[in-house]
Amino acid sequence: MTKKMEQETHLLKTKIKDLIVDEGFQKKESRRLLGENATEAAVNRETERRMQMARELSDKLVRPLGTASRPYPMWGSQRVDYNGQSNLEQVLSTIADDSNPMKVYSERPFAEVIAMAYCDMPVPSMLPLFFDGLERRKPESTNRTQMMIGDPGAGKSFMGAMQGRMRSKQPVEVFDCGGKNMNELLFEMVLDFGAGDAMPKAVDKRLQAGTLEALSLAKLKQLPSEAVTFDENNNIKSIDWTFFKGGAKPDEVETAFAILKDVSHIEGLDKASGNTLGMNSQYGPLIRWFIEGREGVLDEYNKSKEGSDNGLQTVWQFLNGETNICTVENPLKNKDLTNGPSSFTFRREDMQAGFFVTLTGNKTEDGLTTRSLNKSVYSRLSPQTLPDPTEADWQHRICQMMCGVPVSTLYSVFREQADENPKEFGQWLMQLRKTKAELEGVPVPELQETLLENWRNVVNSSRKLARFYSEWSEMTNAENLMTTGNTDLIEEVDEEYSKKEGIDFRKIKQHLEAALPIRPHMLPEDAEAKADFKNFLKQPVLAEKEYENPSVAFGTRLVDVLDRMVFEKSEAIGKHKLYEKLKASMDNAGLRDIVLQDGAHSFQRSVEEDLNVSVFDSTDMGKQAAAARKVFCDYIRQVDPQIVEADDDKIITVARLKRALQTVGEKNTAESKELFIINREHESLGAFPLARAKIEDMASYPEGTEEVELSVSDIVSHEDFMAALALPTVSAKNLDAIWDTNIRDLSEQIEKENNPQGPNADQKSSADEIFKITENRSEQGIATTTLRVMFEDASGKESDVSVHIVLNKNRKKALIVGEKVPTKLLSAFKEAGIIHVDRHAPNAKAKVDAALNDLTRGTRNPELAKRHLADAFRFRNDFDLGDFLVEKKAITPEELKAAREELKNGNGQTEAKLDTVLIKQGVLTAAQLAEKTKLSELLVDDKMGMLYEKYVVKDRKKPAL
Amino acid sequence: MTGQGHNVPPDLLEKTASVAAQQNAMERGCKFLPHGCRLFPVEQGWESTAISRDKSVSVVGTLLELEEAMRDPDVKVVFIPLDAMMTDADIEKICQRNAAVRTFFREVKKGG
Repeated sequence: MTKKMEQETHLLKTKIKDLIVDEGFQKKESRRLLGENATEAAVNRETERRMQMARELSDKLVRPLGTASRPYPMWGSQRVDYNGQSNLEQVLSTIADDSNPMKVYSERPFAEVIAMAYCDMPVPSMLPLFFDGLERRKPESTNRTQMMIGDPGAGKSFMGAMQGRMRSKQPVEVFDCGGKNMNELLFEMVLDFGAGDAMPKAVDKRLQAGTLEALSLAKLKQLPSEAVTFDENNNIKSIDWTFFKGGAKPDEVETAFAILKDVSHIEGLDKASGNTLGMNSQYGPLIRWFIEGREGVLDEYNKSKEGSDNGLQTVWQFLNGETNICTVENPLKNKDLTNGPSSFTFRREDMQAGFFVTLTGNKTEDGLTTRSLNKSVYSRLSPQTLPDPTEADWQHRICQMMCGVPVSTLYSVFREQADENPKEFGQWLMQLRKTKAELEGVPVPELQETLLENWRNVVNSSRKLARFYSEWSEMTNAENLMTTGNTDLIEEVDEEYSKKEGIDFRKIKQHLEAALPIRPHMLPEDAEAKADFKNFLKQPVLAEKEYENPSVAFGTRLVDVLDRMVFEKSEAIGKHKLYEKLKASMDNAGLRDIVLQDGAHSFQRSVEEDLNVSVFDSTDMGKQAAAARKVFCDYIRQVDPQIVEADDDKIITVARLKRALQTVGEKNTAESKELFIINREHESLGAFPLARAKIEDMASYPEGTEEVELSVSDIVSHEDFMAALALPTVSAKNLDAIWDTNIRDLSEQIEKENNPQGPNADQKSSADEIFKITENRSEQGIATTTLRVMFEDASGKESDVSVHIVLNKNRKKALIVGEKVPTKLLSAFKEAGIIHVDRHAPNAKAKVDAALNDLTRGTRNPELAKRHLADAFRFRNDFDLGDFLVEKKAITPEELKAAREELKNGNGQTEAKLDTVLIKQGVLTAAQLAEKTKLSELLVDDKMGMLYEKYVVKDRKKPAL
Repeated sequence: MTGQGHNVPPDLLEKTASVAAQQNAMERGCKFLPHGCRLFPVEQGWESTAISRDKSVSVVGTLLELEEAMRDPDVKVVFIPLDAMMTDADIEKICQRNAAVRTFFREVKKGG
């Protein structure tokens, strides 16, 4: 490092008096420096020199914040006019002033300061305190302290330290005042291990190697509990040596000194040179920070020992600018033969630009250890009390924890610009986050990157989460139950519960920590559990692990965690009313489903849906193409043994695939009915990765007309059809293309022939909904259809098979029941929101049940939706109730025969009444019949043929893309 | 390995492996520590080896070393080996008293 660079990284050590750009001040200073006898001309020259120096130094240090082109959010009181009346309100706006911006005096580059200021921005209601903190750090400010009082977890010490970190790369020391004598801020008793910490290092080494003498171990275990941690076997895990070098109480230092002296002797360390061990008094943190020109935080100041800060009053007077000099004596000097300074004098002219002290305190309601400060301290430190968090604060902190950027607050202040150009806004957010990530030394986590790309989802979901957390916090705050409409919780929520389980910002951290990792997921309670009883004690061979993008089900995991937490913190401990209220609050906030007051499903997305984000949702076509390329190449390699190329680029470039996806993306396939599949032609796939396909629907050939003739080679293979569904863009476009109105046309024709009077109004409405489900036009978003594709089984035999598709377009989810697919496609299906079930898998029905529950969740009546889906399924598929029940061994062939006999005898009743007869005859109950014929049973039935086949066929007439 | 692979400087290979390992670990979730620090568990194996070999990563085995890493402004990423003499609570305590942003990768037993 050059001398110049070194100087510039220590600019905060510049004396404040050398930074003040004020002629009057500098003239006074010049006069003081030159002495009373100096001439006026000499003083003026010196003043000019000092002014020039101050300007240059300031220019090097000042980083403006809140300028016209880079506004900074600010919260504060403003008069707002409503209907001609002016009201004082707290509003979120910006500071955008080129002449008088906020200023950060920092050694860090501008980009780093900006990234920290925006990414780590305090919550809106704390912004005025942040602003105040910056003002007090200016060179001309003589008050070098800021004291904040607030609830635990509000972010007080974080904000104090953050302001320090914005200014310097040096860490900000945080001194925990809890239970301590505040005189130790000035002079403290410490252990002196010498320059190289030789003795602690030697003890650590032996501890790790397990070579410490038993007696030494026993002695070390007696060290003050704050300095030693133990493992589960009560063996010493670590010793916090730094604790004895600053921060320990004098009696703890004395105890440690005696113990370590013995250990040193037992271990023979006292004989080795360099193993110094002494006890000294030294400057405490306040004096050290002053001398070193750095920032410090005095945390939990009002938890310090009662009365112990009486001697600090003169120091506070100096630090807040009331006095310019203050001398303090060392009461520890010569105590117990210790060395150390006898006194220290704080002088205004010695104060450096980097010096600042933040004090934090908890509200006095927070437990017995928190004390009320005496009047003189209040008067000198003028503590600022943090307001209770608003919903905007909750939202801000939720966004920060999820994405590393307070997206909601930034959106609030730049709303018009963000709505006008969402992509640019997203890129700006990402730029801020990436700059911050450089300071963290690691890339931006993939989940955060995905969420920032989908920042609208973050804004929407965080708003709902904020509402819920805010209500949860109110319900668990015993002190405010009466004023927050939670009087009914008085019996369940007391002060003790509030202290233990009250909701503060820290809880968001805990919940997110629990939601981030991908964990095993519990199946729905009605899912069938099947076990391999015969081999139960043998370790199972697991299926190939499917990679899962952490963001694909992040929303589900987070809402699952909240469901669990709400139960554990209320119902599980006997707080029934609280549980009911919390459940209602979750529903109202729309965590899992958005249901309107009239019971209708809303098109608004729930928190779960908004935060389940996949690359398929990405607005960046480059990302989609990169994901598609991976699926494409993995698939081609797996299914085509002739392709052994390891380099994806040599199979297909991302750029080429991107162009193909862009072309597909522009198609309206719901109209054109075009499908796209992976091109398997070796010669052309590198240039034209996607081949074309279309649907040949036998229902579109009325009876008597000539059907199209299809050969085996015309029909798209099961694998290729499935692989296309695993490609971003293509998947959605293909799912748009497979719907038709042929069944309605045909059925209406048949109905007319069978029932010339037509159905009654109820029947008509129900039938209409079922037709809509076959056509993908249901307002509930659910739809189902069946396609025929070609499948080659393990023996090489080819035949056409059904692929059943159940869709919920509102939730962008699909269930596909078919044959086994190449394993490489499975993780891509998850990304695509597709649940694939191999109909031959042992637990296929349970998986289908779970998927159907998920797909119908949030509809007006999920059970009815499932029945409608089953009816819609039967329109397309060749479902014969009697044969089906016999095949499933639900009834015997004899029982079926008897029922059909009854039908024949019963005035020519049609087969459609077979269910009524079976129930009447007592063969099955209605419930059993419903269970045996439910949709999951039908979907996994591999013998189910189609009434009107819908083939997916290759469209060779159109060129590949 | 392809011919091109032989030309890649070993340092770059190690760095690339470390970045990949860090990204993998970051996908598996983290513990949020005071002052913006984050602790990512990394399973013992190639990932932990790659991170520990990265020259830009500071490896700490004791609390004294951890404290030193927290106070060194040039350190951004810290690796804590499986046998390090510290608990998660120790790490949290040291982050609390040295408010500096650091990213921690802590080696954990496979499946642990």
